[in-house]
Amino acid sequence: MIFKKAFAFIKRSYMLQMSYKLESILRLFFMLFNILTYYFVAKLVGTAGAKYLEPYGGDYFSFVLIGIAFSTYLMVSLRGFSETIRDEQMMGTLEAMLVTPTDTATVITFSSLWSFIFASIRVLLYLLVGILLGVNMTNANLLGALIILILTILSFSSLGILAASFIMIFKRGDPINMMFMSTSELFGGVFFPIEVLPWWLQSISHLFPMTYSLSGMRHALLQGYSLHELLPEISTLVIFSLILLPLSLFIIRFAVKRVKEEGTLVQY
Amino acid sequence: MQVREGEVFGLLGPNGAGKTTLIKILCTLIFPSAGTARVNGYDVLKESKKVRESIGYVTTDERSFYWRLTGRQNLEFFANLHNYYSSRARERVFELLEIVNLENRADDPFLSYSAGMKQRLAIARGLINDPRVLFMDEPTRSLDPKAAQSARDFISSYIVREQEKTIFLSTHNLSEAEQLCNRIAILDEGKIKIAGSPQELKSGLGNGSTLSDVFSSYSGRKLEEEILPKSSFMKERRQRHAGGFGGMRRRGM
Repeated sequence: MIFKKAFAFIKRSYMLQMSYKLESILRLFFMLFNILTYYFVAKLVGTAGAKYLEPYGGDYFSFVLIGIAFSTYLMVSLRGFSETIRDEQMMGTLEAMLVTPTDTATVITFSSLWSFIFASIRVLLYLLVGILLGVNMTNANLLGALIILILTILSFSSLGILAASFIMIFKRGDPINMMFMSTSELFGGVFFPIEVLPWWLQSISHLFPMTYSLSGMRHALLQGYSLHELLPEISTLVIFSLILLPLSLFIIRFAVKRVKEEGTLVQY
Repeated sequence: MQVREGEVFGLLGPNGAGKTTLIKILCTLIFPSAGTARVNGYDVLKESKKVRESIGYVTTDERSFYWRLTGRQNLEFFANLHNYYSSRARERVFELLEIVNLENRADDPFLSYSAGMKQRLAIARGLINDPRVLFMDEPTRSLDPKAAQSARDFISSYIVREQEKTIFLSTHNLSEAEQLCNRIAILDEGKIKIAGSPQELKSGLGNGSTLSDVFSSYSGRKLEEEILPKSSFMKERRQRHAGGFGGMRRRGM
């Protein structure tokens, strides 16, 4: 039944998105320019950063392609849940959903499923264009990449659910979103290896799930690391998920209880 | 306050009296700050899911639908939220669209519907899970007088007489309360001032009293009454294809 319900949310979101066809096409189309920008930046950089890029295969374009592709999931997670709540509040559909037997946590999490699917389509396009531009993934460990991806989505989603809890109570000004959106690109290793940072900034990087997610993904896709070799990233992401997921679910339940007590559920 | 099974209970009060808040508490959308409430025997706080499984909620807020989806797509999605899937959901939605006389416009976008059609779709959504109790928050507020009368006729003839649902509705329309409700509670500033049948309440004030007098007597204020057109239920039924409610056939729900 849970899969049928998930499918119902995906179908609804898909139909809504397809009612704005031009927007969907443009979003995918203009993404290509983003990739091309980094392709030429990589040409400019050449082998200048080879020392730092060595653990990831030595090629800057491959490095940054994986970075921008998979950081999409963080953006979707951080924005997806809170934007879902806000959109449903503004459309006026939130109450109509919450008066059904489907519980609030399911409504919030399943409403964001389509965003993850659309993000996955974008990531696949990134990788496909990357391969066409010369990125070598012939040795990729797809199973390892899939495990990292699932753990990435779990840990990023937990942050997104935490962000949604803040939005639910405070309506605007969510610190989780602001903090991770503004710092993850710096500390998470999206555009450059964290080894470039001074040691004290590197220690901050280790507090971000993005660091392990991107590192694991690069090792799995570009260098074909085995599951055993990916164990440090996998185990750290498991720890992040085990801590963040129950915490976020607890906090969103608290947030729902609080707004139902205050009667502010549909305010925005 | 107690509502009897099978009756139409009206909550009458001016804007801001607390009618919507009370309905939202009973629908588990807001938690009560004090006291207890039970719907169909289930506690609204401790057994909220069971409450939601056994109720329907009709709101006047036309924004509560996805405007770019069709009426059918909207109802099928909400049927899924009520755990109706695949052919069961499709059949139930088909049945409801016929009942509210929207079958010919079912595949048009919701945004192209008139106010009356939007309200009919809202009632269809409230009936998806065949609820024992239907909450209706000012069900005719956004309708023109003719469409409002048509909606009232549909409520009394189909939902009450044919389907024998318990209805808990809020209104600030005295005629509506008098026409539809077996019993009424007058709510003002968050407090029930008095409850009883319209006849009991009026006779308590003496011959010739109106519900307006009753309201003024208990709240110390006037409640404006909507002027209704002369419209008959049978006439509305005959004109069902002109855009009103229709298809009130028994479907063994």
